[in-house]
Amino acid sequence: MTHLNRRKSGGSRGAEGEPVQIRRAKKEELTAVADLIVRTKRLNNEFDPLFAVVADAKPRAEKYIQATQGAGDRLLLVAVDASKVVGVLRAEIRERSFYEPHVEGFISDFYILPEYRRKALGNQMLEQASAELKKMGAQIIAADVPSQNEIANRFYVKRGFRALTSVFGKAP
Amino acid sequence: MAKQPKEESSRKALEYSKFYGGKVGVAPKVPVRSLEDFSIWYTPGVAAVSKAIEADPELSFEYTGRWNTIAVVTDGTRVLGLGDIGPEGALPVMEGKALIYNYLGGVNAIPLPVKVASQEALISFVKALEPSLGGVNLEDIESPKCFEVLDRLRSEMSIPVWHDDQQGTAGVTLAALYNALELTGRKLRGSKIVLFGAGAANVAAERLLVKAGADPKDLIVLDSKGILHPEREDIDQLMLKNKWKYEIAIRTNGDRVSGGLKDALRGADALVAAAGQGPEMIKPDEIAVMNRRAITFFLANPVPEMLPAAARSGGAEIIATGRSDYPNQVNNSLLFPAIFRGALDVRAKTITDSMVIDAAAELASFARERGINRRYILPTMVQWEMYPRVAAKVGQAAIREGVARKKLSPRESLHAAMEMIQHSRKVMSTLRKSGAIVDPPE
Repeated sequence: MTHLNRRKSGGSRGAEGEPVQIRRAKKEELTAVADLIVRTKRLNNEFDPLFAVVADAKPRAEKYIQATQGAGDRLLLVAVDASKVVGVLRAEIRERSFYEPHVEGFISDFYILPEYRRKALGNQMLEQASAELKKMGAQIIAADVPSQNEIANRFYVKRGFRALTSVFGKAP
Repeated sequence: MAKQPKEESSRKALEYSKFYGGKVGVAPKVPVRSLEDFSIWYTPGVAAVSKAIEADPELSFEYTGRWNTIAVVTDGTRVLGLGDIGPEGALPVMEGKALIYNYLGGVNAIPLPVKVASQEALISFVKALEPSLGGVNLEDIESPKCFEVLDRLRSEMSIPVWHDDQQGTAGVTLAALYNALELTGRKLRGSKIVLFGAGAANVAAERLLVKAGADPKDLIVLDSKGILHPEREDIDQLMLKNKWKYEIAIRTNGDRVSGGLKDALRGADALVAAAGQGPEMIKPDEIAVMNRRAITFFLANPVPEMLPAAARSGGAEIIATGRSDYPNQVNNSLLFPAIFRGALDVRAKTITDSMVIDAAAELASFARERGINRRYILPTMVQWEMYPRVAAKVGQAAIREGVARKKLSPRESLHAAMEMIQHSRKVMSTLRKSGAIVDPPE
């Protein structure tokens, strides 16, 4: 369990004034995490109708999240205020067969509840995830966001990331 | 305003509008003693004035009518309760507004509905008008477009831009609340206030209430989907589509109440409904869960969200509506003529929330001096002496806030406003007496 990095404005503080903790998710938190995962998918839907969210997103998210537990190549970080899960970051180690560097830590899902935004929490979660992914062997960090999500795009660009690929889509 | 049945006023409005061919027009301020005078008012004399202004554009506030001129601009997308009826349809409303500005505020207001294809086009149109104007009154623009337009214009122009459906309604609501709270032994700080409806009026009211001292944690705001709170399902959608509601959802509702109106009203001291046409949008059993001595405002026009009798049966003590045929009319016309009178008199660069709060406080004091009771929490439009008083407070607040180009003492502010408003009244009575403006045919 690691406490929040305090370098930036003393770290994020929760409702009770206690620091928000960032750590790997516990088993009993998976339902709450799944809720946040569904929120990220709904948010994506705001940017493109091809991200329309399925009706049974919740159970799917639970299954998706459960699969991260105990897997050495998956990372599931949560931000916790008191005992409430207020942020989630899911990532996995991927191999890049044809490119150097060879191993990437790929951030597939990242969500923070509105009240906890703009408090440097996102930055701290990203830094902590990067450090953990590096320990897991990652040589680069990558993240997947909808092209139209300017807020997310700016978030990464501001932190030294650059766009690597564009995924195009249309109905056949 | 005169109390007459709606059908009657509709018939007269149609008939008279046609008879007069419109309600306002540009009128001279200078004498034309002979045609020679045109060499002063126009070329060649006028060139000297132009050159002076060219050298110092600020002189346009001295040498022309700019200092007292505002445009009443709309794109016609949300006119009264009629919706998107287009700029031509909006024209009679803007003319009416201009007439009120003129008569009650001594402000030279030009009705200016515009046909624009986009929000950006509206913004650039208004910005382009700046050299001719001392201020801009935006009117009847749909939400949330109106928030973006107002925010942008306020920051990008150096004359006051006012959106009456936001700031005007919020200001009068605040004045009414001051006196209603006073009558029921409450203070703004510590009172639980529910804002039902999250359109122009209540979004502005929330901000103004907080600036005036209300604790945001004690406010609950509802839109058509229920109570705003930071974890509502559609919160990210709000972040992208209506950042004003998003901010409200995060800042207010300290107890994290979720659900509908009744959930919000449980234990509330005051309700400000600006949510849409009634008369049964709110039920007496919902009012019944409020605290004792409940304050309830129903601002939708022409049909309030709930009729006063129903609110009374639910236990409301103080009831206000937007209508003139019930007591306590929360009427923008109580404020906007004075706001611009005061702002123009000191050549204000903007209208800050503090200026509006001071105006609301003065409006409330004016009523208090005459003895408030549950049927009289606000002055009425016929009490015209309140306009110069409120205007003077607005001017003084502008000076204090550092947004005034011209410094006046409180006395000078009052005097300036009084003179302008009395002048307008005098012009009207003179024109009527002389027969230049005739009474309508019966």
